Amino acid sequence: MAEVILKSVGKVYPGGMRAVQGVDLHVRHGEFIVLVGPSGCGKSTTLRMVAGLEEISEGAISIGGRVVNDIAPSERDIAMVFQNYALYPHMTVGRNMAFGLERRRRHGSLLRSLLSPAYAAERRAESARIQARVDEAAGLLGLRPLLQRMPRELSGGQRQRVAVGRAIVRDPAVFLFDEPLSNLDAKLRGEMRTELRILHRRLGATMMYVTHDQEEAMGLADRIVVMKDGLVQQIGSPSELYDRPVNRFVASFIGTPTMNFIEGDVERDGNAHALRWAGGRITLPAGTTLTTARAAIGIRPDTLAPVADGPFRGTVQSIEFLGDRADVLIETSGVRLNARVPTDSARAMREGASIALGMPSVVHVFDGDGQRAS
Amino acid sequence: MVIVGLVIAWAFLHVAVREWNRSGGTDGRTELVVMHWSGDGGQEEDQIVDASLRAFEEANPGIRVRRVNPGDAGSFYTKLMTMLAAGEPPDVFYVGNERVPSFADIGLIRPLEPFLDADRAANDPTAIDLADFYPATVDAFRFDGTASGRGALYGIPKDFTTVGFYLNLDLFERAGVAVPGNDWTWDDFIAAGRAIGQLPDATGSEFVTWAAMLRAYLMTEGVDVKGANFDELTIEDPRAVAALERLRAWRHDEDNTLTSGKSKIATGSSVFLSGKVGMAGPFGRWVVPSYRKIPPAGQAGGFRWDFRPLPRGAVASNIVLTVSWSIASRSKHPDQAWKLVKWMTDDRSQRDLAKLGLAIPTRKAAAMGPEFSDPTQEPANDAGYLLAAERAQVVEWPVNPQFESLFASTMDAALKTGTISVREAIDTFLRDWTSESQSPLAKADLAPMPWRGLAMAGLAALAAATAWFIWWMRSSKGSRAHRSEERAGWLLASPWVIGFLAFMAFPIVMSLLLSLARWKGVSTLEQAEFAGLANYERLLTDDARLRTSLRVTLYYALIAVPLGQAIALGAAMLMNLKVRGIALWRAAWYLPSVLAGVGVSVLWRWVFDPDGGLMNRMLGGVIAGADRMLGWFGAGPTGLVPPEWFEADAAVWGAPAFAIMSFWFMGGTMMVYLAGLQQVPIDLHEAASIDGAGRMRRFVSVTLPMLSPVILFNVIMAVIGSFQVFTQAFVMTGGDPNNLTRFYVLYLYNQAFEFYEMGYASAMAWLLLAIVLVLTVVLMRTSSRFVHHEGAPR
Repeated sequence: MAEVILKSVGKVYPGGMRAVQGVDLHVRHGEFIVLVGPSGCGKSTTLRMVAGLEEISEGAISIGGRVVNDIAPSERDIAMVFQNYALYPHMTVGRNMAFGLERRRRHGSLLRSLLSPAYAAERRAESARIQARVDEAAGLLGLRPLLQRMPRELSGGQRQRVAVGRAIVRDPAVFLFDEPLSNLDAKLRGEMRTELRILHRRLGATMMYVTHDQEEAMGLADRIVVMKDGLVQQIGSPSELYDRPVNRFVASFIGTPTMNFIEGDVERDGNAHALRWAGGRITLPAGTTLTTARAAIGIRPDTLAPVADGPFRGTVQSIEFLGDRADVLIETSGVRLNARVPTDSARAMREGASIALGMPSVVHVFDGDGQRAS
Repeated sequence: MVIVGLVIAWAFLHVAVREWNRSGGTDGRTELVVMHWSGDGGQEEDQIVDASLRAFEEANPGIRVRRVNPGDAGSFYTKLMTMLAAGEPPDVFYVGNERVPSFADIGLIRPLEPFLDADRAANDPTAIDLADFYPATVDAFRFDGTASGRGALYGIPKDFTTVGFYLNLDLFERAGVAVPGNDWTWDDFIAAGRAIGQLPDATGSEFVTWAAMLRAYLMTEGVDVKGANFDELTIEDPRAVAALERLRAWRHDEDNTLTSGKSKIATGSSVFLSGKVGMAGPFGRWVVPSYRKIPPAGQAGGFRWDFRPLPRGAVASNIVLTVSWSIASRSKHPDQAWKLVKWMTDDRSQRDLAKLGLAIPTRKAAAMGPEFSDPTQEPANDAGYLLAAERAQVVEWPVNPQFESLFASTMDAALKTGTISVREAIDTFLRDWTSESQSPLAKADLAPMPWRGLAMAGLAALAAATAWFIWWMRSSKGSRAHRSEERAGWLLASPWVIGFLAFMAFPIVMSLLLSLARWKGVSTLEQAEFAGLANYERLLTDDARLRTSLRVTLYYALIAVPLGQAIALGAAMLMNLKVRGIALWRAAWYLPSVLAGVGVSVLWRWVFDPDGGLMNRMLGGVIAGADRMLGWFGAGPTGLVPPEWFEADAAVWGAPAFAIMSFWFMGGTMMVYLAGLQQVPIDLHEAASIDGAGRMRRFVSVTLPMLSPVILFNVIMAVIGSFQVFTQAFVMTGGDPNNLTRFYVLYLYNQAFEFYEMGYASAMAWLLLAIVLVLTVVLMRTSSRFVHHEGAPR
């Protein structure tokens, strides 16, 4: 078990394309950290640099206190789970899981085992240990009945489980996951997510996990790293990111449905600020400091609720029932707002009817440059 | 579509019009088809024959002549065979005297005595008097049912040659050897050869070991290879053995007396042109046109030269090699054809042809004329040819053309390349010829093939299949739309289906039927006889050459397939590197496989030539380097010499040489591997490298298993390909020496197109199919343990 430290890590491809720049990250021992961001943001590249599959162009990465920039992947004491599982298709599940250990065995020479009985005994003992490890990992993931099967005979979920099993068996210092669930259907993805979470708790291992799915990130992570265009936007726990996004990108990326933004002109009144837009004006929370003329407020859809009269008035465009909640799209003058409301209150609405929404409990304020201002 | 349709319609119309014109529908004249060759005679011979035929047309207004000249003698016989097999032979054509027995035996050519007798009875002024001809040239076209030389006359000789040696008079002078007369002996010959061989940078003589020339050589010792007939061979006669041993010793036990038998390039009549060989022969008159291009003495590359007939041994002897005009048995206009034969062999035509210098007129009067004996041109000794003609004999040949082939290849191995001893050569020859001539297939009288019944059966089968097909179409389930779609599908596929039935299925069935027949490819199908399984029986039990060819082919496959795959895979991995300009590299590596064919084979013959070929120079350099290195450590030299690939070392190195050559053509295989390599997911390599697998382990544990279906495919294709080696061997070695490079398909070709044993060749083809099929099935079955098929359930 170990911590992973990235210091000013950058990746420049031949041709000058900068995929990652200046990433500073301290993954604590036993922490489950998730790198999230839209495709092309550099999250996978960052993970692959940790794995040793990509050269590190700038900065340094250390695993367990050892700088690994020039160390081969196999020497970094890591295990990786790939998006496409990368199971060896010509080996049984058992052999897939044992492959990494077989490569690392100290008594591997068949020839020597033929010449020296002592060596042969060691070799047998080592084989037995490997088998025991595989068996143990298989038990942990419920793979025991599948050990003799070939990968092609397994379902997607089972394959993913084998890929995880192959990583576990090696007992590495750090687990790396590169979008491991994105090839699974939604239901299975949810189940695997839970399992991974449980597994992490049980193993207590350091895990780095890449996904483009913020929900997955929120569900799994101790801390999340949000990346965009090769730059880290924010690092924090899921609730920090949800409650205090540092900029509009993070605010819009995290949370479902996406946060509503209303842009307008800033009006100063002593220390207090207000935002005016075509459809209205609201006073910004105390403690807001703005230097720009334009600003935006962000409102999470689940903080909007219908009221008899409020600052946001408009007509209901559509109502989508989701079970206990419903998503309502409201056209106000100049701005469309999403509101997630309890189903009961949605039942009272009609598409096309007028509606008023009350002032939300939390309003996020972003300045003209998109940075948090409240 | 319209344009394509018009083009096709035009093509058919064009052929139809041509055929109609040809059939003589336009005028009332009789058409004669005449076929000849013009190999050594070139354009000039072509023109002389053409002029002579035009003159004939003018003299005979009722006859129109269509002339066919496929080129050299080889192409001529191929064309003749196809015409004969199609049942439409030319009316009048060239026949070399060695072909008379095989052609006459199956009734291809017409005996000419009836015409001679009729002319004589009618007191025809154009009647041929055979006494005007050199007797040996006439006898060469006689055949008595078993061998040539006696019996009915099957052709009127148009010209001939005797044989002897061409002498480089300048080298004789430099070596201080007196130029011999026409009555010289073998002792004179070899003494001159040794003396000239002592000169720096010169060789005594080139001595070709062609079958006819060897027999001419033996005849000068008063012995031939055959006795009364071809069942009683005299090659074991002590005189014959002694003469052969002597010839072998001249070449292989002495230095520079005879040219080395090693080189496949520096051989034959062209060696003389270099000016570094004292004598060259035995050749006939046909080399004269090319030798006349030698510059006069004093000029660069020039020297004086002359001809001497074959030296005398125990007796003075010579042979005639001659070509006749003959008439096809199936000619529809035999009388007009005879008229033409007389025209083409009369005194005037012969004198015209004699101007070429290529051959001697067969009419004595014409031969004595100034057209042949031209004192202004070399060689001075034209009389030498004529003197030899007086003492010349006919080289008799049996019906079976394999006699010549067997004799030539065994003697070549003993006397030229020296792969085996004279004794071994004689034993091999006797064994193979006895097996050939005594085989039940050669002797038995067989019933004709029941073609009528077979055709009926075939038609019935076709009708039944059609009926079944119609029934099947009618009864097919599904909606109207589905059925009409199905009909449309079949309709659209029908050109291919019909093409397949006519051009693939029918020939396949025919070859299966022919494999049960004894049929000379030069005769019509009606002459095929039903032999049952005799062809297969002989194949499996009694054909030493077949066994050799199988052994050679397997040896080749064992080297070429695994090594070829390894090299192609290695190359593909190189081509899979991501370096700058990789596309160019790929093209460059692929290119040679586009160039495959005869030209490349000729090129490789030079590469493998033991005298200064690229390969042996390279190996020589490597060996010399190794010797030098060993020298530094005080060890002795390796004692290695580069192999004589297709000569003395052919037993070991012949097939490997072809294998090495096959690597040149691996581009296609390489591309398939490259495509396979690019299909291997990069994930797997990354996973393996994280798992601790190094490069080698990743290759073994990831690349190879992922590539295994591609490997299986390539191996199967390579195995099939290795059983189809033909062009290279045909061009480079012709199967020599001693059959050591006679690959299976080459032997099949020999049987089919040189010995005309179509039935036997068909059986060979089916055996080949069986062998390849078995090998493929074995590969497929045994491979399932090693080959990983993505997605396929076990």
